[in-house]
Amino acid sequence: MTSHDELLDNVAAYALGVLSPVEAAAVESHLQTCEQCRAEYEYLRPAVTAVAYSAEACRDESSGGVAASPLLKARIMRRVRTEAAAARPARRSLGTGYAVAAACLAIAIFAALAAFSLNRRLHQELAQSALQSQTIADLTSPESAHYRFARGEVVTHADRLYLTMHGLATPPAGRVYQAWTLEKGAARVAPSSTFVPANGGAAVLRLPESATNVVAVAVSVEPEGGSQQPTTKPIALVKI
Amino acid sequence: MERVRARDAGAFEALYDQYHRLVYGVAFRVLSDAGAAEDVTQAVFLKVWSDPGAFRDGNFGAWVARIARNRAYDIVRSRALHPQNELPESLPLQDAVEETAFAHIDGERVRLALAQLPAEQREPIEMGFFGGVTQEQIARSTGLPLGTIKTRIRSGLRRLRAALQETVAV
Repeated sequence: MTSHDELLDNVAAYALGVLSPVEAAAVESHLQTCEQCRAEYEYLRPAVTAVAYSAEACRDESSGGVAASPLLKARIMRRVRTEAAAARPARRSLGTGYAVAAACLAIAIFAALAAFSLNRRLHQELAQSALQSQTIADLTSPESAHYRFARGEVVTHADRLYLTMHGLATPPAGRVYQAWTLEKGAARVAPSSTFVPANGGAAVLRLPESATNVVAVAVSVEPEGGSQQPTTKPIALVKI
Repeated sequence: MERVRARDAGAFEALYDQYHRLVYGVAFRVLSDAGAAEDVTQAVFLKVWSDPGAFRDGNFGAWVARIARNRAYDIVRSRALHPQNELPESLPLQDAVEETAFAHIDGERVRLALAQLPAEQREPIEMGFFGGVTQEQIARSTGLPLGTIKTRIRSGLRRLRAALQETVAV
């Protein structure tokens, strides 16, 4: 093999990123002056990028492949949107007086609806909306504690306890997923909520137990209606 | 990226949706740890958001995958799993050269193309890319001469390049 063939081999190794700093510097210097090696480098680089793509996570996380938690996006976007909003110039098209009046009007409308109980369904939806808002706020809060496992995480915020999972298969007919909690000093786990994942295999639920008392959370597949003790091997177990 | 530079959260979200599986997948492959891979993914995308000027045109996927790999290597190093690692922390020229991009590239297509390579070529490529090791370390761990490893890496990359060129537009 000629010395230039060896250089071409080193160009491939450089493109792949497997040279020592000294070797990499030598190749970089050579690439500045050698058209042939530079052409080889430019030819091979897309192949190296393709190697990266071979690790690309699954589009359909319920297929059982590697996939990031949907909560990750929520955490990142919360920060990005906060910073984007801060970067926008303040709008002054509406005067302060108008804004205050609009807020007062909204409060008045809300109070009127509440006082006369005009629409029970509205109350339920408002309560559900408030719960969802608190869930989203807790799950994406930087103050929350996250305890990750392979397909999800347990999140605690003050005394609130959440279980989030993704990539879950639909349970067989007559079966559900059931969460279990282990309280401080307890010898056995206690039954918590049962659930089935949404389309796409994701589940987010607030567990009724207080996060301050719970030291571990587990999940198993159980008969519909739940069990008093796990009847199958847990698919997830995380210590808090 | 122009819109991300203008602090457009919607444009950033579109980038995240398109590339997070690549970033997370590379980090997970290097680290074999879902939590750490998510940390890397978060760090990479927040870097994209906070310093969009660091990307100087070219192939965004290649750039972001490289950052993910380097961040994952940093974690491997910090865990001292590879204390003898000699890889440079950054490869400045690689960031400066605009890369030809395959159109419509995706993981499944590349996995199929990689699977077509002879194992003797595929394995040193994957060890090098995801293992954070130098070609000398690959040679030592496989017991093969360094020259053989170099040739196999180059031959494998050329073959992969040609295979993908046959199946996708460039």
